[in-house]
Amino acid sequence: MDLGVISRNAAFMLGGLALSFKLALITVAGGLLVGIILAFARLSSRPLVYYPATLYVHFFRGLPLILVIFWLYFLAPVITGRSVGAFASAVIAFVVYEAAYFAEIVRAGIQSVSRGQTMAAYSGGLTFYETTRYVILPQALRNMVPALVTQTVVIFQDTSLAYVIGLREFLRRVNLTDAREARSVELYLFAGLLYFVICSMGSLASQRLEKRRQRSC
Amino acid sequence: MKRGDKGVVRLIEIRGVSLWYCKEFKALDNISETIEKGQAVVICGPSGSGKSSFLRCINGLEHFQEGEIVVDGVSVQGPGTDIHKLRADIGMVFQHFELYPHMTAMQNITLAPIRVGKKTKRQAEEKAMELLVRVGIPEQALKYPEELSGGQKQRVAIARAMAMEPKIMLFDEPTSALDPEMIKEVLDVMIDLARGGMTMVVVTHEMGFAREVANEIVFMDEGKIIEKGSNRSFFDNPKNERTRQFLSRILI
Repeated sequence: MDLGVISRNAAFMLGGLALSFKLALITVAGGLLVGIILAFARLSSRPLVYYPATLYVHFFRGLPLILVIFWLYFLAPVITGRSVGAFASAVIAFVVYEAAYFAEIVRAGIQSVSRGQTMAAYSGGLTFYETTRYVILPQALRNMVPALVTQTVVIFQDTSLAYVIGLREFLRRVNLTDAREARSVELYLFAGLLYFVICSMGSLASQRLEKRRQRSC
Repeated sequence: MKRGDKGVVRLIEIRGVSLWYCKEFKALDNISETIEKGQAVVICGPSGSGKSSFLRCINGLEHFQEGEIVVDGVSVQGPGTDIHKLRADIGMVFQHFELYPHMTAMQNITLAPIRVGKKTKRQAEEKAMELLVRVGIPEQALKYPEELSGGQKQRVAIARAMAMEPKIMLFDEPTSALDPEMIKEVLDVMIDLARGGMTMVVVTHEMGFAREVANEIVFMDEGKIIEKGSNRSFFDNPKNERTRQFLSRILI
């Protein structure tokens, strides 16, 4: 064991970790936003709104993420007519893909709020928007916090897939370091430990939130 | 708003309303009823008879396919009707309270006045406090619904419905989900409202309440109005066989 290889290359590798975090955070923010819109579309009674959103969700949930990453990387330049960087391309692919998963989480969250809450808000004169904003979404978001945290952890793990389009995120940089140092055991154990610790913290936070929610309701 | 012969104001006019669910099940069958300002009308009948659907048609929570409902001169399903504005004039209280669990009693009451009534937070809170005093629980203002008893929850719900200063109050089995010892505290608030001249439509099986304050009692079964009568005649001299059966079952 030569642990020095880790400290020598720590700055390089952790720089990749920062990139992984950035990708995960943008994905969660963007995916959740698009997911909320898709969720409401899926709950709409208008066929022209409902069917496209449903098709979108089923389509992307039926594909491997890595394929979508490839697609967006090779398609984006064709569509936009200019080259898109690896990071931008990864962000688009992740948001587009994860929005489908967030949509289902949000939809379940909205449906977990009883119909009577909507009726109560409507009977006070609130509009659809006001009812959603002040009555339904706060309760729905609270109900879906555990699922959202779990999905966030999964997204963080999946950022490593962006290596296929040359994004130098954390795992890719560990991989590059290994190519230079030929210290696979130490380096990949280190990478595994870091992923494990970060994801465990996420899962723990989720469990605690769930317990707190059970206590309060 | 129309004035009848005796100078009474017909606040709610329901003409030939029919409602289907899923195009097959007829929940309301040609319902007509006129409710005057200041009247308290009690609707009773077996479960599934359409009482709640009837109530929800009045404030547009339910969409009926035939007939017309006019509230305070405004057709509920009329093409130019601002349903949100109309609903603000019609308070509603639900069987399962439906308080917003993420808000305090005070926030529950002030949400609509602030967002819909465009009152300032302070005005809304002052009004809410008055209402909480009126329903007898000012000390519960800052509690969350989960910290309140059933009776207290329903009283907050009544205060919430009153916060928009409605012209009409609808009650959908307000005491059915309550423990027996809490029924009275809610009924007392409702009796107080009725005596104060509030126009009320109350779906309930509390016949004591009906005897005490109802101007008219409507008996429904299978989506139809089977019988309606004044307080006295309904109880002492029900004409229809089904009404008689129903009354004998609930008046033990």
